[in-house]
Amino acid sequence: MRYFDRLHPAAALVYFLFMILTAMLSLNPAVIVLCYLSGVIFCGILTGFKNLFKSLLYSIPLTALIALTNPIFSHRGETVLFFLNDNPVTKEAILYGVFTALMLMSVFYWCRNYSTVMTTDKFIYLFGRAIPKLSLVLSLILAFIPKLKRKYKEIDAAQKALGVYAAKSYVDKIRSKMRVLSILLTDSLENAVETADSMRARGYGLKHRTSFALYRFEISDGIFLAVTAVLGIGCIACIAAGGANFNFYPALSRLNLSAVSCALYACLALLGFMSLFVEVKENILWRLLKSKI
Amino acid sequence: MALIEVKNLSFTYNGAQTAALKDINLSVESGDFVLLFGESGCGKTTLLRLLKKQLRPAGKQDGEALYRFKNIADLDDRTAAAEIGYVMQNPDNQTVTDKVWHELAFGLESLGEKNEVIRRKVAEICGFFGIGDWFHRRTFELSGGQKQLLALASVMVMDPSVLILDEPTAQLDPIAASEFFASLKKINDELGVTIIIAEHRLEEVFPLADKAVLMDKGKIFMCDAPRNVGKKLSNSELSHKMSLGLPAAVRLFYALGKTGDCPLTVKEGKKFISENYNGDIARIDPPEQYLGERRAAMEVSGGYFRYERELPDVLRGLDLTVYENELLCILGANGAGKTTLLAVLSGVKRLYKGKLRIWGKKLKEYGGNSLYRGNIACLPQNPQNLFVKNTVESDLYEITKIAGYGREEGKKAVEEICAKFGILHLLKSHPYDLSGGEQQKAALAKVLLIKPAILLLDEPTKGLDACSKRGLADILKKLKDEGKTIVIVTHDVEFAAEYADRCAMFFDGQIVSVDGRINFFASNSYYTTAAARMTRPLYENAVTVELAEKLCRMNGEKRHG
Amino acid sequence: MKKDIFALCIVIFLVVLICTGTKIQSVDDYYLTHIDDIKEDSQTVFLTVKCDTVLKNWDKLDSALRYEKYVPGDGFILKRTEYVLRDKDTAYSILDRAVRYNKIHMECTYSANYSSVYVQGINQLYEFSCGELSGWMYMVNGVFPNYGCSKYYLSDGDELVWCYTCDLGRDVGCDWGLMR
Repeated sequence: MRYFDRLHPAAALVYFLFMILTAMLSLNPAVIVLCYLSGVIFCGILTGFKNLFKSLLYSIPLTALIALTNPIFSHRGETVLFFLNDNPVTKEAILYGVFTALMLMSVFYWCRNYSTVMTTDKFIYLFGRAIPKLSLVLSLILAFIPKLKRKYKEIDAAQKALGVYAAKSYVDKIRSKMRVLSILLTDSLENAVETADSMRARGYGLKHRTSFALYRFEISDGIFLAVTAVLGIGCIACIAAGGANFNFYPALSRLNLSAVSCALYACLALLGFMSLFVEVKENILWRLLKSKI
Repeated sequence: MALIEVKNLSFTYNGAQTAALKDINLSVESGDFVLLFGESGCGKTTLLRLLKKQLRPAGKQDGEALYRFKNIADLDDRTAAAEIGYVMQNPDNQTVTDKVWHELAFGLESLGEKNEVIRRKVAEICGFFGIGDWFHRRTFELSGGQKQLLALASVMVMDPSVLILDEPTAQLDPIAASEFFASLKKINDELGVTIIIAEHRLEEVFPLADKAVLMDKGKIFMCDAPRNVGKKLSNSELSHKMSLGLPAAVRLFYALGKTGDCPLTVKEGKKFISENYNGDIARIDPPEQYLGERRAAMEVSGGYFRYERELPDVLRGLDLTVYENELLCILGANGAGKTTLLAVLSGVKRLYKGKLRIWGKKLKEYGGNSLYRGNIACLPQNPQNLFVKNTVESDLYEITKIAGYGREEGKKAVEEICAKFGILHLLKSHPYDLSGGEQQKAALAKVLLIKPAILLLDEPTKGLDACSKRGLADILKKLKDEGKTIVIVTHDVEFAAEYADRCAMFFDGQIVSVDGRINFFASNSYYTTAAARMTRPLYENAVTVELAEKLCRMNGEKRHG
Repeated sequence: MKKDIFALCIVIFLVVLICTGTKIQSVDDYYLTHIDDIKEDSQTVFLTVKCDTVLKNWDKLDSALRYEKYVPGDGFILKRTEYVLRDKDTAYSILDRAVRYNKIHMECTYSANYSSVYVQGINQLYEFSCGELSGWMYMVNGVFPNYGCSKYYLSDGDELVWCYTCDLGRDVGCDWGLMR
């Protein structure tokens, strides 16, 4: 059981929003590296390092591709490495490309982590609160779609074996699909009546319906949320105050080490690696517990 | 004090000429297990639905249906929803939500229970039914049996005092059905919940019931303890076609002309036979039929099939020969891939390795649709998948056009086949309005209009009552006499033992055994009929009640004293 | 399998196309430009590259460029110099030769709309680097030709000035910028 599975969806959502926002807001190399590293390692923890490795296999070449595309179109920067078709290829442009690519990748990995943790039920739970009917409708639809798919396959097989239309002609293929869809429609309407009966039989339509959720907001969730909020707001504020300023052109500026910047780096490092910390802590605690048993 | 009291209840659907229920009187005590049985269309479902306020059909009602001395129609909505639980036939359609936990919580949400209460009750019910493992799973991943158990649990979570079930196992395989009945017994025994169940599959549920109610054409034909119902039903004057559906033990007992208390279960039946009959002659060998050189209709050798490259093989080195003009039953557990096997045999799915020959020709040699013109036809598990038009008649005419009949010729063919199946009176109805048995006949008629030489049927006995099964068997017999080759995929052991020529066991992607029906079931120890289990080890091959009766009579009774 | 081979062929084709169509030069090669010596009979033009307007708009200038090396204190990136005019020399080709010779950075694109080269930046000073109305313009003999720089052919004794404007040319004495 991962910590983030137990974590209240609201806390997890806030955490991911802050991380993704911070990753998108700045091109400061330190910020990008922090976001990228924490995102990638967290992805490894969530989906397993084998899967991470697989995803890196295509994400690294993609990063390289983006990094190399930039100097082809941008010739700014004063350190010229060589000339390509009379246009300078500069160190600055290459580095700009590298960091833009890393920024995109860190946003990608954080979004991936988001979708791993925030499953549909969590999403429905969070947004269904505001509109309880919506969450039920979503749940009904999510239950209905796989049924429909399977039904489609069944009908398709049945009609195919009836040999109604020639399989070679495209027109006939379309006609036979239409036929399947028409049966599917009748059948779904028929079955929907039964589903509605099942809902009514279990009291759907009574007043004062409640909405059950698996998640409880516990003290630890509160602490996590508070820490996330403080660090996240800290990051955004520092970026707003110019702590993340960095120039690639015409020459690389030196990494900003002012107080605001240092605060930004610290907040971001804490925020980014907090997820890793809680997961690793969870793992170690569990092992300790196991060794005691 | 009766929990549910039905007094002189009659009911006519809006727009119907005849009454669906006539003068029903029934009283159900708290804690009773009441079994309703009878032919499809006899009014069981109507009666059950009248007992559940939310599902009452529209129509004209005379007489009363009372729950705790209150008219059910006037019950408070909340009470009616919570205290009277209702489980329906189709596991797919009655699952409402996408997650198991949500499905379990659904009823309690409707009642407006608080989160903590729901949490506790859901936890309790998971413990009771032992379904905690699935709690976080998606409902569509569950098997049919699991879904039906979930439907039961999600009704039980509302803590009803009466549980009404309308053919809950009709769509399940025998193993899942047994599990379902075991849960029902547990609910009845341990919680004292009153159960009213309509069911076709009597073998297991009959012994569980306190009261068995046989309905016929909207009336209660008989209402008594199961043993008495068995006795009366087997009585010659009262002879009723539903006696076909009684448990094997009951049928055997009365077939042997016995009087007194009849055995209900296999265990009781076994005791009855071993106490009363000699075992000198252990087997009857059926007259050997000389079949001669038979032509192979279909031949699969070394067949491999899988759905996706990453998925495991569903068929793994399948070898099977279907001979001309035989009725072959392929048996196997649920999810073993029987339907896939049928899809491969019918050419809908292609083997990725191995050969399939039909009439000695490779599948490739059947260009275009020629395979489905007079060669192979397939009746799917759900006959509804075949109907396109608004009436049975237009549906059947459509297929005659496609199959290339002339106008007059087509009309004649439709009339002929409908007369043969006895569905002439249904021609003007919508296919979806027919009962399960009628739908099946109509679908079979449609398929046969293509004049196939080989007929493939997928679970044709699913959800059918004993009479309809007999009807189906008669039709199949006629078809065989006309020279058709029939392959049935089923898990209905009793049906196969009664009507098949040969039976094959499908397991792990292969055919593991093939034999004539009697030898096949005689050599199986677990996967065999109730009659065979009952007469063993005394008799070796009494696989049907008829054979068991014959053997008993040949051996003669033991002398007592 | 077929698809894979097909894709591989396309990739190889692209690589070959790019390699043959690409000229790669080292920095030294690129700047190794031959400037003709001025002789008695050679035709010449004078070239100046200046950005003095930036000095007046220092606060609008991109903070990364606020250094002497990008914007010299006197406003001249290239002081008035005489160059030999070759046949078919344009306002652009003279500039190109001069910046190469002096190892000054320049970036330009070919604009299909005007079928002419457009100078984006000289010495890291780009269009829009000093406010959104800023960019490079050229002036010949005190007149701003409303004409693509690689289509304007120079003649003997022309006075070519490339100047940086911070206000669509108004601050360097061009009035058509507003009309456009």
